[in-house]
Amino acid sequence: MIKEGKFGAQEAVCLITVTITSKVFFSSPAIIAGLIGNTGWYTTLISAAVALVGFCFIYLLLKRFPGKDIVEIFDIALGRVVGFIFSGILGIYMLFISVTRVNELSEFLKVYVIPLSPNWLIIGIFIACIFTLSLLGLESIARLSKLLIYALLAGFLVVLLLGIQNYNINNLFPIFGYGLDKIAFQGIVRSSVYGEVIILAIFAKSFQGVKFIKKEGITGILLSAAIISVSVLSYSLTFPYYVVQEITAPMYAMSTLIDYGRFVQRVEPLFLYVWIIGSFISATLVFYSFIWIFCKTFRIQDKKPIIIGSCTILYATALMHKDIISIILGYVVLIRNFGSLPLFVLPLIALIAALIRKKGGNLNA
Amino acid sequence: MRKVIIILILGTFLLSLTACYDAHEMDDMLYVVSIGVDKGISDKWRLTIQFPTMKEGGGQTQSGSGGGGQSQSGSGGDEQSGHSYASIDAPSFFTGIDMLNASLPRKLNFSHAQIIVFSEELAKEGLIGEYIAPLSRFREIRRSAHVFVVKGNAIDFIKENKPVIGTTISKSFQVLAHTSENIGYFPNITLENFYEALKSPCGQAIAAMASVNDSKSFAENGEPWGTKFKTGGDYFAGQLPRTGQNKIEVWGTALFNGDKMVGELNGDETRFLLMIRGEFKQGSFTMQDPQKPELIIPLDVRVSKKPQIDIDIKDKKPVIRLKVQLDADLLAVQSMINYEQPELQSLLEETFKKSVEEGITMLIKKCQGLNTDVFHFGDYAAKNFLTIDAFESYDWNRHFKEAEVIVDVNFAIRRTGTQIKSYPIKDPIGVN
Repeated sequence: MIKEGKFGAQEAVCLITVTITSKVFFSSPAIIAGLIGNTGWYTTLISAAVALVGFCFIYLLLKRFPGKDIVEIFDIALGRVVGFIFSGILGIYMLFISVTRVNELSEFLKVYVIPLSPNWLIIGIFIACIFTLSLLGLESIARLSKLLIYALLAGFLVVLLLGIQNYNINNLFPIFGYGLDKIAFQGIVRSSVYGEVIILAIFAKSFQGVKFIKKEGITGILLSAAIISVSVLSYSLTFPYYVVQEITAPMYAMSTLIDYGRFVQRVEPLFLYVWIIGSFISATLVFYSFIWIFCKTFRIQDKKPIIIGSCTILYATALMHKDIISIILGYVVLIRNFGSLPLFVLPLIALIAALIRKKGGNLNA
Repeated sequence: MRKVIIILILGTFLLSLTACYDAHEMDDMLYVVSIGVDKGISDKWRLTIQFPTMKEGGGQTQSGSGGGGQSQSGSGGDEQSGHSYASIDAPSFFTGIDMLNASLPRKLNFSHAQIIVFSEELAKEGLIGEYIAPLSRFREIRRSAHVFVVKGNAIDFIKENKPVIGTTISKSFQVLAHTSENIGYFPNITLENFYEALKSPCGQAIAAMASVNDSKSFAENGEPWGTKFKTGGDYFAGQLPRTGQNKIEVWGTALFNGDKMVGELNGDETRFLLMIRGEFKQGSFTMQDPQKPELIIPLDVRVSKKPQIDIDIKDKKPVIRLKVQLDADLLAVQSMINYEQPELQSLLEETFKKSVEEGITMLIKKCQGLNTDVFHFGDYAAKNFLTIDAFESYDWNRHFKEAEVIVDVNFAIRRTGTQIKSYPIKDPIGVN
């Protein structure tokens, strides 16, 4: 079978964190503000807690089948046919996420930065980068994310700190936004935000064992929750709930308001780097997960031809979207609302099936 | 394979770094500094833009005084002033841009727009809401641009807007807008502030008031002023008794209810407004000498703490407790009375504290009369509600006029300048 190099816990945490947190740069914050008002900063902590429970199932599944990745586990726990279907669903979902992420980035770049460049060029350049990095493999993606996360975090913090001048604590009231019921519901549903933690199960063999995966998953989710919560808090402090719902990309809009006189203003290019690099790593990793699942499911040894073909599919599908609204209110809402099903529920079903069918080495799990 | 990958990476960087589609040379663009909006005659809107001509010698001004400066007309440039303007009647902002682009040899770009000026007529008719929508959505216009409401026409304001000091008109605006922090006679309101306030359930919008000062208030001849007292802040925009080359002035505040301008504040009222909003930083106040009312005492007043605002809602009626904390330096004592003495200093502090409390109370009553919470007390009132639905159904903007307001000002003179004692000037002896 195809193999990937191994890398350490820090790289894994960076990989997961960058992949999960990149979505905060797009329209999700605006959509969530429309649903729960100014409470996104703590609602996301509920989502993270639910995601931790979801990850617990993934961990138990991996623990039950040490040395196996999720595609192999699906096959063993559910049988070849059902396992194939489960892996297929997960793979297609990963492709769908990567298409959406490429679409989001290209549309947002067109709205804010490069309005004259045609979609085919923006998406084309983006896919060329994804293609190149996919050829280099998971280890290179992980090492790149470890290398860049410090710069990304620094840029991110600078924007948050410079934005203090526009913070208004009163924007956080009324404290329960549109109501506790909505907060609880969205908190649970939106656990899909942290669903990319399943990547640890997809590439389970590349990590240093199940114990490390547990540590990496929990750390990744907690770190991502902290970053997402702080960023949502910062734009909630900047924009009141009735304005944030209107803004296409609140974090970017927040960075454009920074103005400390003639010498410190127009700092959004700094944020742009964070935005593009984060999205690039995120889209690449999710796309590469699809490649990996595809190769494993069909037992293909050479992933290079699959990468070429899949990039072509990614490019074509990314160009097919109708407009920005269909991405924001269609694709993204779909991913957020139902993302937990393929990312957390499929492993849970596999775990239950393994328990019932008494599959797996560790029967006490 | 490695070579292919390297070539791919380099190729990707080459492609992405060229930015060929969105590339534009600096001198292909015309960077608009000011945008003026009036009611149109040939079409719905009269759009006026001001831009630097980027010619050498920009910013030169004529010598002399008495309201000089160069006049500009039409859409032609002015070789000496380094800036020009163009105006057009158009059905919408964006169509207006395209129409103007047909007559200007550069592409208009609004990414450096510093101010957006609406005419008072437009504001009073509640038409700003219609025009603010495209401005806030347009990616080139930064929401950090400043919003002014101008007495008379926006086009006249822009015509008279010239960089008297320095060479760049954009710098003039940036410095002017931030001058608010040092004097407090007008608010520093950005497009973001204004747009948010128009939609807010917690309060209403304000904008800086601006005007062309034709120097009519500057009397060349007449009776000397004598010993009457004026604070200096009781003028409205366009009425300052001044003359000079710079004809424009920003002074006071335009008050809105929804998107309709319903009132105006003078300089002093604006300072009290900014104190309540927590936006006042520093300013010189002139008070009457409590022991010699014919003389004055100037104070350099600063805010020592952000205002404390607590709001209780009892039987649907809001009770607002407002605490403003100010510090000051004594700038002068014309009477030479030794106000540095603790007992006399307390007298000064008490007198000034009362005048600020009265000013704030009257201002709040004025705004309650206009049914406009420009202080954004609603932001604080929101703490009394657990959910947005409960707060919005209470409808703060309707209940503000019923609010009982308790004002408390803490004021202390911290320093007395370079003197710690005032010794009286000797009376003239043997002089009639």
